[in-house]
Amino acid sequence: MQQLDGKLTRYEKIAFLGEGQFATVYKARDVLTDQIVAVKKIKIGSREEAQDGINRTALREIKLLHELQHENIIGLVDVFGHKSNVSLVFDFMDTDLEIIIKDPKIILTQANIKAYMIMTLRGLEYLHMNWILHRDLKPNNLLVNTDGVLKIGDFGLAKFFGSPNRIYTHQVVTRWYRAPELLFGARQYSTGIDIWAVGCILAELLLRVPFLPGDSDLDQLTKIFQALGTPTEETWPNLNKLPDYMQFKQFPAIPLQHIFTAAPDDLIVLAEKLLALNPVQRCTCTEALCMKYFSNKPAPSMGHKLPMPSSNKQAVEERPNLKRKLIDALEGGTVPKKLF
Amino acid sequence: MEDQACPRCKTTKYRNPSLKLMVNVCGHTLCESCVDLLFLKGSGSCPECMVPLRRNNFRVQLFEDPMVEKEVDIRKRVLRDYNKKEDDFATLQEYNDYLEEIETIIYNLCNNIDIIGTNKRIEAYRRENREVIQRNKTRMGREEYELEEMLELERAQEEARKQELAELETEQKKKKAREKEALIDELMCSGKDAAEIVNEFAEKVEKLREEEKKLPPPKPATQFSTGIKFGRTADQMFLPLPKAEEGPLYVHKVPTLYTEGPAAPATAEIESKGFIAHIRPENSAERAGGYKANLACQRALQEALMGLYFGAPTVN
Repeated sequence: MQQLDGKLTRYEKIAFLGEGQFATVYKARDVLTDQIVAVKKIKIGSREEAQDGINRTALREIKLLHELQHENIIGLVDVFGHKSNVSLVFDFMDTDLEIIIKDPKIILTQANIKAYMIMTLRGLEYLHMNWILHRDLKPNNLLVNTDGVLKIGDFGLAKFFGSPNRIYTHQVVTRWYRAPELLFGARQYSTGIDIWAVGCILAELLLRVPFLPGDSDLDQLTKIFQALGTPTEETWPNLNKLPDYMQFKQFPAIPLQHIFTAAPDDLIVLAEKLLALNPVQRCTCTEALCMKYFSNKPAPSMGHKLPMPSSNKQAVEERPNLKRKLIDALEGGTVPKKLF
Repeated sequence: MEDQACPRCKTTKYRNPSLKLMVNVCGHTLCESCVDLLFLKGSGSCPECMVPLRRNNFRVQLFEDPMVEKEVDIRKRVLRDYNKKEDDFATLQEYNDYLEEIETIIYNLCNNIDIIGTNKRIEAYRRENREVIQRNKTRMGREEYELEEMLELERAQEEARKQELAELETEQKKKKAREKEALIDELMCSGKDAAEIVNEFAEKVEKLREEEKKLPPPKPATQFSTGIKFGRTADQMFLPLPKAEEGPLYVHKVPTLYTEGPAAPATAEIESKGFIAHIRPENSAERAGGYKANLACQRALQEALMGLYFGAPTVN
């Protein structure tokens, strides 16, 4: 009991950061180590959710993050409970990739993009090596601190993969970053779904607008096929066996060079592997990191040279999780660039 | 234009000023009332060449020569399929040959030379190049969209400029009226000599006019018609590119899993040593979803061997 009380006073609230569906996040100072941390206080939620004793997403985060230790994975510093509340203490991160991508004052050089991609893929490689799928990769969940270190965050949807008898839900991943096999309702999937999301993030870093902003699941598939071509039985065997498969109009593929006009060839090769329609043909993180693009010049930016949002001070104060999302929703979100 | 006449009812523009000549795909003209009369049912044949026509396809004649009209029509139809761009060809020669072919086809169709053969040629081309045609269509749609956007922007700017001018003009008018009023007031109320006052005002107006001339012309153009700003305002649009820094090139080191146990068999060994036989093979739907049985096999093996050395003294 004493220990619990100790933990309650150990973290000194500094500021309110944001509110999500399941939690409120505060910026706090660890009195013992004088470190700045982010405290995520899980909401109790509805009775139904509380039945299990603790919110499911929080349980996932605690269970998985507790054992993970990697430079590019958000660190779970501490967990403590108070009354019926559970709070998770994380490394404090200043901003996220979404803010960086949307900031018109920031130029993302090829070296910057390469650095972000390396950090993302290394974190993901570590996750996959430990048989964990993140299942919600998007710029918003790639957190960046002032040292320019990118960490993968938000493990509320993460899950172990690779067991033959388990059925997985296909309703995962924010739609714009959802792989085609998920949209076709696959119940058994693998690392490919995270790789696809990374491909979409790479595209977004290049275009500075979401690559495939679908309005609905159907529209999402249409957008994917308009850009990358409709798959056939040859390019994606057994496609029609997927639960929600349906026939699509045959679109020819637009060569990626035409979409990413300023991208060097080695990057196009990488993007092609990340965004392969057939999940079997998509590369793994390790394969991706061994590709020419990463070892070629220009070298990836060093951490401190990576750009920070100019309004970082403000951004930190009102790091607007829910707030930003609400405003975005009101304004209709980012206006996607017309590709087609 | 006066001698425009409908070939069927012989009405001329002179006799009926509201005469509207219509033309269809065959290139023969008819006036609007004749079209109404002949194509009451929606379709019929051309009174001159007996080609079956649809009423919907009639449109107002733009060119005096109906042959030009016909060619425009045919060209539009042919170019819908022959929509390749210069980039689609390897050499300029090939592109030129392609353009030449289009012209030949259009000429043939216009002058009724080997119509059946030419149509067959178009059909064959369409079948062969279906994909390219489709792709170029979407690309053209995109370009058109961009162009439209640009035009819209230009229109808005034009509008703004017009409004600005109008405002300036009314402002000037008001100013003049005010000056006049002031002059009259002065003449009415002050005790000075009328000629003196008039002179004074005239001088003032002269001075003002000179000052106005000295003022720089209002607002020089700050952007190209494409909306890209030039000059000093540009620094808002273009940020200086950060200097390229030279860091060490990236070399990937494959991380090793810390298992505290004997190493699990490598991916290649899973099949060759028969481990895979103990795992339910994936069905076709699972394979399409990206799942493979050897993943499950590998994980099971890894977990079985993990932690076997736990607590054992390190061998070193």
